[in-house]
Amino acid sequence: MPGQKFGPAWFPGLIAIGLAICGALLVRAGLRERAPLFAMPQWMQRQRPRRAVAMVLAGLVAYILLADALGFHITGVLILAVWMRALGASWRVTALVAVVATVVIHFAFYRVLRVPLPWGVLERWAF
Amino acid sequence: MRKLLLAALLFAASSALAQYPQRPIQLIVPWGAGGGTDATARIIGSLLEKELKQPVNVVNRTGGSGVVGHQAIASSAPDGYTLGLITVEITMMHHVGLTQLRHTDYTPIGLVNADPAGVNVRADSPYKSMKDLLQAIKSNPGKMKASGTGQGGIWHLAIAGLLKDQGIDPNALPWVPSNGAAPGLQDMVAGGVDVVPCSLPEARSMIDAGKVRALAIMDGSPPALYPNLPTLKQELGTNWQIAAWRVIAAPKGIPADAQRTLVTALKKVYDSKEYKDFMASRGFGVVWADPRETAKFMAASDANLGAALKAVGLAK
Amino acid sequence: MGVLAQAFALVFDPYVLWVILASAAFGLFVGAVPGLTATMATALLVPVTFFMPPVPAIASIVTATAMAIFAGDIPSCLLRMPGTPASAAYTDEAYALTKKGEGELALGAGLVFSVIGGLFGTAVLIAAAPALAEVALKFSSFEYFWLVVLGLFSAVFLAHANPLKGIVSLLFGLLVSAIGLDNPAGFPRFTFGNAELAGGFTLIPIMIGMFAVSEIIRNIGSIDEPWEMAQTKIGNVFRGMWTLTKRYPMQALRGSVLGTAIGALPGAGADIAAWMSYAMSKRFSKEPEKFGTGHIEGIIEAGASNNSALAGAWIPALVFGIPGDSITAIVIGVLYIKGLNPGPTIFMNNAASIYAIFLVFILANLLMLPLGIAAIKCAKQMLRAPREVLMPVILLFCVVGSFAINNSIFGVVLMLAFGLVAYVMEENGFPVAPAILGMVLGAMLEENFISSMIKADGRIFAFFERPIAGSLGILALAVVSVPLLRRLYRAAR
Repeated sequence: MPGQKFGPAWFPGLIAIGLAICGALLVRAGLRERAPLFAMPQWMQRQRPRRAVAMVLAGLVAYILLADALGFHITGVLILAVWMRALGASWRVTALVAVVATVVIHFAFYRVLRVPLPWGVLERWAF
Repeated sequence: MRKLLLAALLFAASSALAQYPQRPIQLIVPWGAGGGTDATARIIGSLLEKELKQPVNVVNRTGGSGVVGHQAIASSAPDGYTLGLITVEITMMHHVGLTQLRHTDYTPIGLVNADPAGVNVRADSPYKSMKDLLQAIKSNPGKMKASGTGQGGIWHLAIAGLLKDQGIDPNALPWVPSNGAAPGLQDMVAGGVDVVPCSLPEARSMIDAGKVRALAIMDGSPPALYPNLPTLKQELGTNWQIAAWRVIAAPKGIPADAQRTLVTALKKVYDSKEYKDFMASRGFGVVWADPRETAKFMAASDANLGAALKAVGLAK
Repeated sequence: MGVLAQAFALVFDPYVLWVILASAAFGLFVGAVPGLTATMATALLVPVTFFMPPVPAIASIVTATAMAIFAGDIPSCLLRMPGTPASAAYTDEAYALTKKGEGELALGAGLVFSVIGGLFGTAVLIAAAPALAEVALKFSSFEYFWLVVLGLFSAVFLAHANPLKGIVSLLFGLLVSAIGLDNPAGFPRFTFGNAELAGGFTLIPIMIGMFAVSEIIRNIGSIDEPWEMAQTKIGNVFRGMWTLTKRYPMQALRGSVLGTAIGALPGAGADIAAWMSYAMSKRFSKEPEKFGTGHIEGIIEAGASNNSALAGAWIPALVFGIPGDSITAIVIGVLYIKGLNPGPTIFMNNAASIYAIFLVFILANLLMLPLGIAAIKCAKQMLRAPREVLMPVILLFCVVGSFAINNSIFGVVLMLAFGLVAYVMEENGFPVAPAILGMVLGAMLEENFISSMIKADGRIFAFFERPIAGSLGILALAVVSVPLLRRLYRAAR
């Protein structure tokens, strides 16, 4: 780095040293206690929670991938519906809440707080 | 049902044909809320809103010393619904290798502001003039320190370029990177550094509070804020000038009619009393250039700053 | 007519009072929604203030920010989602209380001690602004470096069960803060040529992910079991507040003092104040072992601290035009536009307006009591919704909040990634709070260390040469070494 004696590698370097020391200490403690390498949460063994968590994560990934193209409104209603169904809500409640929540968020964030939520395919009807 | 569909189609067709702008416009600011660029964007946004009869939403896209925001403006859809307030850094960053982006990646709408660099010292420092200061830097290389932006930022370049221009090694005044002019000034008043080159509106409250002394301005004429402040030309006889500027721009390739509408609206905003009053109250300088002149202005800035960055050894 | 009478007339005007009420509601909303911060509330208010006279313009900002910092405690307590970064320090503690069925106590303490802290900070602002501002201006990078180091030691106190795992979590946070271009050298680190990575990782989406998303995953993972949140009752939030005030007067005072001081320092605001106060509370507590299990003491101290920091930040802003935090950075601009140029002369030239602003501070803090209760009641209604409806809606709020901070989908990516990381960390006994602290302080630590080294030409001793820096440095070293020495002494005996 021209004109600079203390370059960008200093800080991450110090952190790396700290992590290495702590890591070694933790490994020692772990070996002494004969702890398992990785703790698996209980719900992983049961089907319903496993499916619900998977749907939540899949919904978030879907939002990341689709929000710009489809727009916030369509994606929002869709993932809300998927999540609520996965958690066991009835179709009627699902449809109602998904639409109402999306509309409320639209007004609170887009209108009042001026967050530029993407319109996606609805772009030409944006207001 | 069929009627409804027809109505929707008609609505779609009519809105496609209607005049720009038909929906809200985004104005992206590459710097954080609270800074000078943000304030400028917000006043322009609220006045443009009145001219264009559509909401203009100011959106901060910060980070990466401006790279993220500038990138977001350049890579948004060129439909006239995303604008940005691009700053002098766009003609500096690519020389240092931080980004591929250049000023030619934008459609200029208009130059709206420029603030020349001032040179500031602590109010109780022994240096009363630029000559004193430069003499002290020259005779004790490396002892005094300066701050006010990040490494390779506009104010760093301003002082390094001046030293080079005066035949002094830029390394004789080591740069302490800071998160902007305000922390730099605070550090200078606390006795941490000796010189802060920054624009006068940034130093104004400290100058008025009697904590900071401005020595000179790197501009062609004395500033409106402090008419008694000498220019570098008067003090040292040099032509070294540098200013931070702000340009309203759109991504490259927006429709010609959208650009025309925007230029007309922006010119009206620029000429408005509200804009002039606002800028004067903050001490910001106002300058106008139409798209063609703005493009030329940015090209000149790019060439000058590129040469300066190379000369002081900051560019690769 | 006296200046004070003029000030009263300026504030108790129907229009001004209306502005204060409207901004209060706005502030409560913004603060309660994760992802929206008090700074953002201020930025959104700026265009509105263009069209107002000076006093209502400033009043709207003062009120909205005070409400937002308190309101951040509400989702923090009920859902383990800090509404603003200033609540992050005691989110786990408040949530633990709610789980024990004492959510009422946590919310009440958050509200009442926010008000006390806010009023204390205001009193200091009125009484001692010029003198304190002079001291704040003596802080250069050396002093800040030690201050940040002291803040980092809080991490050790934050790790309740296993200090070693707490330190690993802290180092992880520091490492995350090193990503991007915004480092002293302006050099792209860990960016792999990606513009989003060059921008660095924004704290807010990470915070939402680490606290809220990980908690939602845990909640949904236990979907077969009955929901414990349903039993939380919230009646009179003021019940027991008087007892608390009598039992912990020292904590409330200490939190207010430290908060005001940190707020007055340029560059450190309400969030850092809350972390340091929480750690301080545990360090000096008679029952430190109860911290982290749903113990009210830390919430009192940190809750008072973050609201007093808000007022403290105005001290350097009014006296020298130097922002004490990101909110006052915006305020200074508004002051100039309204002709209230900050500087030592502001107390002479614009006395009536300044006293009017002080009055607004007091009024806003008092108004927080009734409005705060209303907000808590509203939030409580929300919890009545069945879990299969509530969780998806909250998650969508999290998504929008993570997007809103930088208007970038990358925020949602960060939220998801760090939500998973935090879930795995917690399942394996690593506390999340120290990681957040590391991200808050990482950039400050590096900047001030590197700046100081450049200024001192690499001499370590320069860190002790200035009087304030030297004292802070010795204090910091003492905080680490005293417990160590004590342990050695005990081992030797």
